[in-house]
Amino acid sequence: MGLGSLASRALRSSSSSRVLSTNPRYNLIRTIVSTPELHKPEAATEAASEPDLPKRTPIAGARVHFPNPDDVIEVFVDGYPVKIPKGMTVLQACSVAGVDIPRFCYHDRLSIAGNCRMCLVEVEKSPKPVASCAMPALPGMKIKTDTPIAKKAREGVMEFLLMNHPLDCPICDQGGECDLQDQSMAFGSDRGRFTETKRSVVDKNLGPLVKTVMTRCIQCTRCVRFASEIAGVQDLGMLGRGSGEEIGTYVEKLMTSELSGNVIDICPVGALTSKPFAFKARNWELKGTETIDVTDAVGSNIRIDSRGPEVMRIVPRLNEDINEEWISDKTRFCYDGLKRQRLSDPMIRGADGHFKPVSWRDALAVVAEVLHQVKPEEIVGVAGKLSDAESMMSLKDFLNRMGSNNIWCEGNGKYLDADLRSGYLMNTSISGLEKADCFLLVGTQPRVEAVMVNARIRKTVRATKAKVGYIGPPTDFNYDHDHLGTTPETLAAILDGNHPFSAALSTAKNPAIIIGAGIFDRQDTAAILSLLNSLSAKFKNLITPEWNGLNVLLLNAAQAAALDLGLIPESDSGMESAKFVYLMGADDTNLDDLPKDAFVVYQGHHGDKGVYRANVIFPSTVFSEKEGTYENTEGCVQQTVPAVPTVGDAREDWKIIRALSEVCGVRLPYDSISGVRSRIKNVAPNLLRVDEREAAVFSGLLKPEGSGKVSAVPFGVTVENFYMTDAITRASKIMAQCSALLAKK
Amino acid sequence: MASVVRNVLKSIREKGLVSFARELREEGFLNCLSDGNLLQTKIHNIGATLVGVDKVGNKYYEKLHQTQYGRHRWVEYASKDRYNASQVPPEWHGWLHFITDHTGDELLMLKPKRYGLDHKENFSGEGDEYIYHSKGHTLNPGQRDWTRYQSWQPTKTQ
Repeated sequence: MGLGSLASRALRSSSSSRVLSTNPRYNLIRTIVSTPELHKPEAATEAASEPDLPKRTPIAGARVHFPNPDDVIEVFVDGYPVKIPKGMTVLQACSVAGVDIPRFCYHDRLSIAGNCRMCLVEVEKSPKPVASCAMPALPGMKIKTDTPIAKKAREGVMEFLLMNHPLDCPICDQGGECDLQDQSMAFGSDRGRFTETKRSVVDKNLGPLVKTVMTRCIQCTRCVRFASEIAGVQDLGMLGRGSGEEIGTYVEKLMTSELSGNVIDICPVGALTSKPFAFKARNWELKGTETIDVTDAVGSNIRIDSRGPEVMRIVPRLNEDINEEWISDKTRFCYDGLKRQRLSDPMIRGADGHFKPVSWRDALAVVAEVLHQVKPEEIVGVAGKLSDAESMMSLKDFLNRMGSNNIWCEGNGKYLDADLRSGYLMNTSISGLEKADCFLLVGTQPRVEAVMVNARIRKTVRATKAKVGYIGPPTDFNYDHDHLGTTPETLAAILDGNHPFSAALSTAKNPAIIIGAGIFDRQDTAAILSLLNSLSAKFKNLITPEWNGLNVLLLNAAQAAALDLGLIPESDSGMESAKFVYLMGADDTNLDDLPKDAFVVYQGHHGDKGVYRANVIFPSTVFSEKEGTYENTEGCVQQTVPAVPTVGDAREDWKIIRALSEVCGVRLPYDSISGVRSRIKNVAPNLLRVDEREAAVFSGLLKPEGSGKVSAVPFGVTVENFYMTDAITRASKIMAQCSALLAKK
Repeated sequence: MASVVRNVLKSIREKGLVSFARELREEGFLNCLSDGNLLQTKIHNIGATLVGVDKVGNKYYEKLHQTQYGRHRWVEYASKDRYNASQVPPEWHGWLHFITDHTGDELLMLKPKRYGLDHKENFSGEGDEYIYHSKGHTLNPGQRDWTRYQSWQPTKTQ
């Protein structure tokens, strides 16, 4: 860690360090100072010879990008010359030079506050130490980061910070991963002089997710800046002055952002901690597993922290292309749903309507027997919204071998076409949205459908004042937008050129249209798509060789991979004539049309909606327990990594289907996950290129045949309750609390 | 010896042969045939004073004459087939082992609530249920549930 090396350098007695002048201030005997040369500044002689500097590596792989070669300036960090673009701060220059400056208030993705003073460094010819985070680097600046003055400045700042900070590290949830703890070990004094009483601050109630212990707050204002800049809610603020200064909501108010969990991560001390995680575990007991999230179609990169067989918490992982370093509250706090309502044994519904646990052998035999009695065209398979590509592949292979091709993935609209990848992907890519200067959201509420995409749009709108037009039911946005209308007819008006937004669309350099996946359930899908086709024909800037601004925002983790694998229903009336339905984690499929005598197999991990119609239950695994491939809405393929063992007698999805195929006598030709993947390679080779975004080859939508007229039916709301969208989040108590307290009414 | 025979004949006459035989069995005379310790105790009992009977029915005898000193107090356990020293309750323990001359009854009268818990004999070797298992032991009945997930419980629907 950068901080560790910094600490070792800080602690190293540096006889070669240079003191500029023998300032009489430092002649005072001050036992508080633990750096011995400060007692005798005369002894620390100025090093005459320039030391032979070892090559330094930038902190955290920091790279410099020079937009304009003329703007390069050179500064010296501890005598080491480094070239940086104009406008960088001293702190950034230091990190390029490989020096990690201690900081509390500075955060890469937030505006600069400069109020913690921890990042003080010495700059030659400057009378005082300067706050490096707020000071722009100037050409030829000589920055010194480990001189006695800089060290003493940090020590002094640390002493002031610790003055009003409670000594409750042993009972603090941040203990072990606390910036203040680490930095006071590295830069703080070895004793305190403070004998008065510490101030205390009343705790605030920020809702069911964020726990506050405001006495621990050091007023870095990172949370205030995060809330107003990234989350886009003006909930938090700074009240009072001096020692009465405190962070709060002014009047008691819950933090109603879907990104509120991130303030836990950015808080450098234990003032804001996770309420569900409070007093549950220490961070050094946890095993981190770097995996991805499946609660929405974004595929945020996460780290699952587990202790033994239990998932203790979920924290974000840096991925600049997808989620930067934030995750949504649903991603972060759904983990208690992984432990509740789990299906742990195979079960068969008896004649009396009760389920009773049976062995795998019996359960598979019963299903195989029924499967051989139904006609192939009466077999239907539905993959759930959390299914991985491997299990969908084996489900499709298995049912195809049984003679049926009625397999689809739930949530994929009736009229969604899988023929062209550009017709169902976010072609601009999530990070590409930052280049857009005009957005048109059609029937989508990204704030609840894909929080990280919404955060990206907000970032763009904030940075470039991009125009946002929205067509759909009234909804909450956390950025400026124009509500253009509620029906597809508005789209037709924009195409005609009568609408004021069409001028904005035509003058934009990189316009982006985002279509919600909900429109593929509408009767007039073909008409809307042909409208969009004409739009892209009219506005030439929409699709250029460099830019593809026509996007579909998917809802569920399984959708993109399912479409890549071709899980498309063969006939429209699959359910009405079905005699055998295989639900692979499908809970939100409408089974009302299903005949009463149909046999339903539910293979899933939670006792959710799907089991109530099931005749046989096969227990399977959740994303934290299996290795599975998922493709996110922009076409980036990622894999989950098992963090905890499976529960009870549950098995991985593809293994269940492989076993069932053998009992049915149509053995699938793969015995390992790599076998399934080599089968996937034949169908959709892009699903094997992990952590890569495979863009669509052709741009634009497929021209639909027989495009009718758009109807006047308004666009619907696709996600009713942000906090409860799938089996895992519906089983979660925390999510239930959130939807009771915070859900948008 | 003759008085013993006389007493036996007298009680047969008083109680009848059947109830005498039942009493013989209850008093453990049948066990005497296979258990020499019990037989010896019974022989000891002849002419001894019954000092007291405790709450579980153990009889405490004393014989000061014609007995070796140190063997003049003894107990005849209530249980005739399964007896051990731990069946002696604490109040009688002192008397029996010459720690005190107060009998158990006297001690109980002195301080009736002296012993908070009722005396329990040692059940070692009497079966798994009597074996002490520490808190984390798998046979401890009050075990913690280490299952870290909650299973779905099927309920009747439709």
